[in-house]
Amino acid sequence: MADNNDIIYNGELVSPKVLRKRASVFLLPGLLWIGFFLALPCFGLIAVSFAERSEYGAVDWIFTFENMKRLVGFDLFGWSADNFWILARSVMVAAVSTGLCIALSYPLAFFLASRPARNKGIWMALLLVPFWTNLVIRTYAWLIVLAPQFPPAHFAARFGWIQPGAPLYPSMIAVYIGMVSTFLPFVALPLYTAVDKLDWSLVEASRDLRAGFFRTFRHAIWPQTKAAVAVGITLTLVPAMGMFVVPDMLGGAKYMLIGNLIQQQFGTSRDWPFGAALSLALMTITLASLLLFNRNSEKGGVQ
Amino acid sequence: MKNSLFSLLRGAMLACVLTLGITGTSVAKELHLYMWSEYIDPQILKDFEAKYQCKIVQDLYESNEEMIAKLQAGGLSQYDLVIPSDFVVPSMIKLGLLKSLDAAQIPNLKNLKPEHRTAAYDKGNHYSVPYQWGTVGLMYNKKLAPDFKPSWSVIFKPTDARRPYVLIDSEREMIGTALKYMGKSMNTTNKTELKAAADLLIQAKKHKNFLGFEGGVGGKAKVAGGSAAYALVYSGDAYRAMAEDKNLGFVNPKEGAVVWVDNMAIPAKAPNAALAYQFINYILEAKVGAMLSNFNHFATPNAASMPFIDAADKKNPAVYPDATTLKSLESILDLGKDNRLYSEIWKMVKTR
Amino acid sequence: MNRTHPWINFAAILLFMMLYLPLLCVVIFSFNASRLGTQWGGFTLHWYTDLFHNELILRAAMNTLILAVSSTLIATVVGTALAIGLQMAPWGKKARRVFEPLLNLPVVTPDIIFAVALVIAFGAVRALTGLFELGMPTMIVGHVTFQIAFVALAVRSRLRLIGTEVQEAACDLYASPSYLLRTVILPLLLPGILAGAMLAFTLSLDDFIISFFTAGPKSITLPIYIFASVHRGVTPEIHALSTLVMIFTIFVVLLLRRSEKQNSQKPEEKL
Repeated sequence: MADNNDIIYNGELVSPKVLRKRASVFLLPGLLWIGFFLALPCFGLIAVSFAERSEYGAVDWIFTFENMKRLVGFDLFGWSADNFWILARSVMVAAVSTGLCIALSYPLAFFLASRPARNKGIWMALLLVPFWTNLVIRTYAWLIVLAPQFPPAHFAARFGWIQPGAPLYPSMIAVYIGMVSTFLPFVALPLYTAVDKLDWSLVEASRDLRAGFFRTFRHAIWPQTKAAVAVGITLTLVPAMGMFVVPDMLGGAKYMLIGNLIQQQFGTSRDWPFGAALSLALMTITLASLLLFNRNSEKGGVQ
Repeated sequence: MKNSLFSLLRGAMLACVLTLGITGTSVAKELHLYMWSEYIDPQILKDFEAKYQCKIVQDLYESNEEMIAKLQAGGLSQYDLVIPSDFVVPSMIKLGLLKSLDAAQIPNLKNLKPEHRTAAYDKGNHYSVPYQWGTVGLMYNKKLAPDFKPSWSVIFKPTDARRPYVLIDSEREMIGTALKYMGKSMNTTNKTELKAAADLLIQAKKHKNFLGFEGGVGGKAKVAGGSAAYALVYSGDAYRAMAEDKNLGFVNPKEGAVVWVDNMAIPAKAPNAALAYQFINYILEAKVGAMLSNFNHFATPNAASMPFIDAADKKNPAVYPDATTLKSLESILDLGKDNRLYSEIWKMVKTR
Repeated sequence: MNRTHPWINFAAILLFMMLYLPLLCVVIFSFNASRLGTQWGGFTLHWYTDLFHNELILRAAMNTLILAVSSTLIATVVGTALAIGLQMAPWGKKARRVFEPLLNLPVVTPDIIFAVALVIAFGAVRALTGLFELGMPTMIVGHVTFQIAFVALAVRSRLRLIGTEVQEAACDLYASPSYLLRTVILPLLLPGILAGAMLAFTLSLDDFIISFFTAGPKSITLPIYIFASVHRGVTPEIHALSTLVMIFTIFVVLLLRRSEKQNSQKPEEKL
């Protein structure tokens, strides 16, 4: 006997309520898990950032604005702009690294797309192996390449950027090298997918009309690869802002980014409330960038 | 298809059981050590395992702060023995991290030198038993620093800091060294002096020759490997490296240095405290104490071991300081509420 | 699409070199006889044999594998169920507005915030119940949390590929919902489930930040061990370990490629 509410869903005649009840059994474990271990604690971060750090490192549930004050720069010995610079530096490093990755991914993507079909798989695999190699290994490997005895360090010493006999780390150059080599495959892979499906007739048409390289790019190539670049940016910008392995190994304590600072608070400094405050700052910046980015891509008509 | 589903489920259950099994139970006779890296002769561990029919599992840390953080994060019930430095022992006691020791189980306590039984940080050895002691001095690479001076100015004075150097990633020891260079006590609570020390450290950090913060062993590795000319290193670690390479040197600079005592302590919820007591007692034996110090080249607190110590170490004023050197060395004290000042300084140094 | 500018080829080759040069250096220096620094001291294989005697490393390797296998198994089951549940019922706009963000949250959150949130969650549970000391269980929970999302996304895309005609056909033939699930959908879904599982497995092996924050003192994994060793002074033993890890990675990448190919094949092609 069919109920008034019944619908035909995937061929079955059943009421939506029954369907939903059935589906909940499947749905809830996963959603509850994510909700409890990730979504809720993000709100918990807000609570912890207003708590006090006890004398020896535990969390005292006493309401205080101390962490917020420290976030803005006021500590026991006066005001300093250092936290602000660390945040600003993190955003800048992330943005510049992302930009470099995008610029460098284009040649890579075009190269891959232009390989004969039977070789494409091999080249793809070549790109995937560093992508899947552990971040720690990929980063510390640079410590060998940038050592004092090898060409890169000699080169930099010749230009006076570093002392002769010193390694090329810790330095901002090393951090950028590390970031770019970490995130390059993240941008190159989506871009390659788009370039592979590129409609070359547009490019040829623009060439026939004697447009130069930059105009061809702007009008023929860019519109078709915009979406892939957007994916690449989402996969790179946000993780780069919170990165701490690369700055830790290649920047030493000299060039701290927000990721290092947060890691310190939850590690040797044992100051969870301040760490929570810093994390909130990072989360705010992350959300802001994502929102800004989404609005821009909607305006530009990216699907 | 059904088979693969079932086998998937079976696999899941098996994995869960395996995980719980491997992580839950522990062999009845296992001693879990949590200590500084490169601090004990592997032969001593093997001898202990053979004598007491047990297995030793070792985990390593590079700084007191790291050890305390891990203990607070759950290591309290997972380790049987830790080796804190003297200046963190009072805080650890207050935090309830250490077990109160039953002297009856450690008869070899009598082997200790008298000053180590009545030390200010734990009079009567109620929570800690001295393990080794030493200094935090300047290790240098003769090839990279031919113009070496036995003074902290090669790090702190911009005009003298002409070679790459590594600072030690240890709050009190690094700040203490800076204060010593300034001619102040490393236990001062004077805010002006502390701010000056912070400025000194920040300037050293911003200098182009600064290579980073490392633990003592990490700094030693950088100097031995040739990427740094100077590092703050624990005395014994430096001497071990020097035994392998004549190009390395170590000195307690003329302005003074930190002198510390590392102690064996049992975490409050240690799974196998009985074995831990046996281990402490074993280390305090005369011959074993000598074997330990002859391996890691630190100074021993064990009076009974002294006859068996290497003559070279006994004569070396950098390992066993003479009266004049002792005057320039200073111990770090736990300052109770004022510890906060040093934490703040350290945060400033690390983040600016 | 046949002729690329020689500059592009040159740049691309240079970029590939930039990606591989450090890794090659690690492999080469794993045979270095001198212990510290980057001076070449002669060729030797003893670092590799030393690896197998190093208890800490063997334990770390074991932990890494246990972690990856356990978390993958749990996440595959829960994630697949999640994807199926999403498709099973006509969820309205309001419901979707809750589900979609939750599902995507693990994917867009920066790793470090993820890790911090987990540490706080565990701290809260520990304060209330005394459970969840940092250790292998907390690491597994942490890994499962992000793996669920990836598995669900992989399975969901496979579900969309399958489409609804098969289900409708089965229902026309009077199949009951559970029969439909067991005998029709799950087998067709298998390539998607396997792809999701492989993805989850690789992500777990590759993970460092989340493991680093949620590891207990004794549940160290290989990436954590290597990270700590870098600060103690890198020895060729670490290079040897890294080389072996890289070989294992190559192996897993090849497996992943094969399973991806199978996943993107439409069901009709297989029948």
